[in-house]
Amino acid sequence: MEASDSYLIRPHHQHKFKPAIVKECIREIVRERLSGVQYDPDQVPELSRSLADCIKDKVKNAGFDRYKLVVQVVIGEQRGQGVKMSSRCFWDADTDNYAEDIFMNESLFCLAAVFGSYYY
Amino acid sequence: MYSDKKPSMEDTWRPAELKRHIGGERPGGENVRRRNDNERKPRGGESVERRRRDPEKESRRERDEQKERGSTKERRHDEGKDVYAKPKEDSRDRRSDKVRDRRDERDKERRKERDRPVDDLRKRDREDKHERDRDKERHRDKEKDRVRDRERQDGEERDKRKEERDKERRREERDKDRSRVEQDREHRSEREKRRHEESGDGGRDRVEKYDREQRERHRGRERPKDEREKERHGDRKHAEQKGEREHREEHKRHKEDRERRHKERGHDDQRQKHDAESRQHRDSKRPGEEKRHHRGDREQQQQQEREKQKERRHREEDDVEKKHRERRRREEEEDDDDDDARRIHKERSTSKKETSEKSQRHDTNTEKTEDVNDEDLADQEYEDDFEKVDYEEDFEDIDPSEGEDEKEPEFPQVEEGEEKDELTTQKRKEIEAIQRAMNEENERVGTGQSGHGTKRGEEDAPKLSKGSERNQSQASQRGRFIDFVAAKQREVSKKVATKQKKRSTELLRLIDLDFSMTASLLDLPPVNEYDMYIRTFGNANTKQAYVQCNEDNADRDIQTEEIEVCEKWTQHPPEYSGSCGDPNLSQEARDKNMNEINFDSQRLAAFLHSASQVMVVLLEENQAERKSLRKLRNQTDALSFSDGSAQLNTQLSFLYGRHISLVHFSQVQSHTMMSVHTPTTTPSAVRLDSCTIICIWNIWEPSRPQRILVYESEVQCCCFSPGKATLVFAGTSVGSVVLWDLREHAANHYCLKIGQDEWTFRQPTFSTDAVMASSGHLSSVSSVEVVPSTAAGGLRPEIPLLASEEESSGLSFQLASLDETGVLNFWVVVELPKASEAGSLTDLGLRPGGKVKLLHSSTLHTAERVSSRDAVKIGALQSLHLKFLPSDSNHFFIGTNMGLVRHGTSHSLKVPPKFYRFQEAGLRPVDVSSIHFSPFRPNLFLVGCGDGCIRLHVVSREQPVAEWSHSTAGERVVSLQWAQTRPTVFCVLDAGSNLHIWDLLKNDTKPVITERISADRVTAITVFGDSGKQNTYSGIALVHESGSIEMHYFTRDFTVSSCVEEEKLESMMTEAL
Repeated sequence: MEASDSYLIRPHHQHKFKPAIVKECIREIVRERLSGVQYDPDQVPELSRSLADCIKDKVKNAGFDRYKLVVQVVIGEQRGQGVKMSSRCFWDADTDNYAEDIFMNESLFCLAAVFGSYYY
Repeated sequence: MYSDKKPSMEDTWRPAELKRHIGGERPGGENVRRRNDNERKPRGGESVERRRRDPEKESRRERDEQKERGSTKERRHDEGKDVYAKPKEDSRDRRSDKVRDRRDERDKERRKERDRPVDDLRKRDREDKHERDRDKERHRDKEKDRVRDRERQDGEERDKRKEERDKERRREERDKDRSRVEQDREHRSEREKRRHEESGDGGRDRVEKYDREQRERHRGRERPKDEREKERHGDRKHAEQKGEREHREEHKRHKEDRERRHKERGHDDQRQKHDAESRQHRDSKRPGEEKRHHRGDREQQQQQEREKQKERRHREEDDVEKKHRERRRREEEEDDDDDDARRIHKERSTSKKETSEKSQRHDTNTEKTEDVNDEDLADQEYEDDFEKVDYEEDFEDIDPSEGEDEKEPEFPQVEEGEEKDELTTQKRKEIEAIQRAMNEENERVGTGQSGHGTKRGEEDAPKLSKGSERNQSQASQRGRFIDFVAAKQREVSKKVATKQKKRSTELLRLIDLDFSMTASLLDLPPVNEYDMYIRTFGNANTKQAYVQCNEDNADRDIQTEEIEVCEKWTQHPPEYSGSCGDPNLSQEARDKNMNEINFDSQRLAAFLHSASQVMVVLLEENQAERKSLRKLRNQTDALSFSDGSAQLNTQLSFLYGRHISLVHFSQVQSHTMMSVHTPTTTPSAVRLDSCTIICIWNIWEPSRPQRILVYESEVQCCCFSPGKATLVFAGTSVGSVVLWDLREHAANHYCLKIGQDEWTFRQPTFSTDAVMASSGHLSSVSSVEVVPSTAAGGLRPEIPLLASEEESSGLSFQLASLDETGVLNFWVVVELPKASEAGSLTDLGLRPGGKVKLLHSSTLHTAERVSSRDAVKIGALQSLHLKFLPSDSNHFFIGTNMGLVRHGTSHSLKVPPKFYRFQEAGLRPVDVSSIHFSPFRPNLFLVGCGDGCIRLHVVSREQPVAEWSHSTAGERVVSLQWAQTRPTVFCVLDAGSNLHIWDLLKNDTKPVITERISADRVTAITVFGDSGKQNTYSGIALVHESGSIEMHYFTRDFTVSSCVEEEKLESMMTEAL
């Protein structure tokens, strides 16, 4: 089939990236996976990777069509230090969005951010 | 010439050198190709335009030499316009083109493979031809025929390809054409003629070259298909031309049938050039080099052939300009030997014209048209290629190379089928040659795979090297499949990238990207020290509290000075030890202080008390003296015995209208007197009318009474306490005995303000009213007497002694009360140590706050005894008066109403005489009005009777010592009393207000002085006087009927006693015995 010159430059409303839903997804997964977990520097890379994959899969299934997802999971040890993270995106603010959730327990903090970028 | 040169050059080169040569030259061409590739890649409006322009430029490069720039520019414009103006057509055309192109590609590949051996052959032929040319051109014709056939084949191949491309659309047409093929053959001559005409037209057109070409190109752009061009040609010429064209096409088909393979080969080279170029470019360089190398050879061959054809054509046409161009081309050809495919293509056509002079005319015609078509087609192919790439990229899934590989077998069969139908001898030859070449190829592949490096080294001949290289390239194409896969992948990825880039460029126009905002994902502040500490050391759910050490080191200042506290006390009224004090002082100091205070206060009080008394007395005396002096002067005449007089102030409102029933002096305190004022019936302002008022006087202070005592009923008798006159006893008409304590504070009593003066009316301290009814008196009390102290024992008690005793004993003495029935009660006067303001529950007669009370001691019934014995003679005796023997309290004397004085003892044996009688025997019913013991001789007493008879008795005798019957002239003796300072003087008051003064020393038969006070009757008298050494005085108080009290002092005669008097009394007693 040949693609016409017309592009779908806006997602359908119901397929739009909804941070609240995604945040819930993140929260569920992170809470489930990290509650009661102690920080272990050996396991954290694998853990964060698997978390990111898990979140990505879940968000994929959430039905955001034509969205490219970027999942970033940062797990750090909680030793009373100050942490500041911020993101800046060059994107189309009408279609793209992000959701993030923070999980903290005694020994670690975990930040999971999902950036959804609409693929036109 | 040129053809000779080139092969010679190639021949002289050794394969390695040639390779090097090509490699050295190649970069330029490669660059161009790359540029083409690069230019092909971009999509989107402008880039497409540019891309289209560039190949056109290249194709134009040759044309530009002969054509004007303006036309190209216009064309460019038109192209741009067309691209935009007819997207639909484009898309449609593209679709068809794509299919066609794909097919072409397949054909190309197939043919290329097939043609390679043919090329070899051809090369060999060419070399042979060179040799032949060199020797003699005897094989020229044959060779030319071959070449021509090949060219024809090429042309037909082109047509066929065109048709194949258009097959889907033009299948029907082609079928028609095929049906006409035979007819067309028959009319070949006619067609040739027309062709000639057409060429003439073409020449005309060439004369009008600019316009026509421009138009053609323009149209070619508008309808990039060959058939359209043909149609255009047809349209442009005449309706007949359509038939001609058909003829031509049929002719082409005929040729195609015959010379397919050649055509394929020739045309395929062109085709393959693009494909191979791109492929080579994409693939490793070595195969590309080799390919190029042998392709270059092939091109040379083809060029030669085409040049021949073109020469032929041009020669026929005699076009000068074309010759010039051809020449130029030839020159350029030397320079741009392996330059652009386009160029080679053109040059080929020009060189063909030159070389092939012998070619047939209609062949040249066809060739010419085909060339023209070819040129257009080449352009179109370029365009189609680009478009094809576009579409292929759009369809990601379709892999062109794969498609080639897959569909390869299909077409060969079909074509072979066609081939078989129209096999010619030439073709058979060709096939044989190809088969040969394939055999060689196979052999070489077998060896090349084992080790082509050594083989290559062995091959000295260029032919062999070319063959080997070609084989290698084929081997690389077939055997080294991996390279292609990678290349394909790369291609695919590149296509994807370009496609995405196109998408992005298109999309970027539609959307806006922005740095929307900087989102803070996580901001975790550092934990403060406290939390850290708690987390590290603390327990869960606990809160740590800081404790600052040394906190109690804080300074604290007080600005105010401490308040000095000193405890002092004071009390009013002052009691015990003083009125004020300080607990901080030492006990000694305090005691001393208190003692001093007490001492001082006591001394002061005592001093003031005495001093005040003295002062009051002095003042009173002064006042009284002035009065008395005046009175004395007045009354001196009247009262002979009086030495002076004073009058007590009884002119008081509460005493107004009262009679004085009794006046009495204290025995110890001779200056203290009391007067009993009877209740009055006359109403007054004071509410004390029904009460008896007793006034206590100090005779030295006549102006006012000391105390005022009040009792509700009539007082019959009264007396002072022994010793100091502190108590007053009274017997009442209702049978009660009452007492007043004069020491009581005035505040405790009723205070009445009369006029300007305040008077305190004292109620009795103790009363036996109704309290002691059983032990009290049942009738009016006739007399109360203090029982004298028994200690004295008949001795005359010393006053100071008594006083001291009284003071020491604390008022302990007996009181006797006698009522009219003869009941004698003895009372003990008891002073309580402490007064109770609340009163006493047991002593109901005691006034609250009182300290003195009466205790009933004993009762004597004196009358019964008398009556029991003397009942017949005397009858009932009425007790009127009671006196105790001063020396012995056991003896009491009771005056009766029968003129007898009963003698009794309270608690001992009876002592005679029982009665004291008159001198004469017998009883007389006269009352004993008064009994008075002599202060100097206690066993002597006087008895006054109601009939005026006065008797002097001695205690031990029943009979009187002396008896004076008519001294008062029959008047009733009211009162008689011994004088206090002289033993032999006594005063008698009779009822007729006559005062008789007796002096037994002077006259023991009649009174010395008899004074008759008629003006104001005297109702009562009492004698006072003090027998003290330094100040002896004596007097008589006269109570007048009006209630006034006059105090008369006796003259010196009656005051100073002498020892003779007592002797006189002794003598008289002895006389009586």
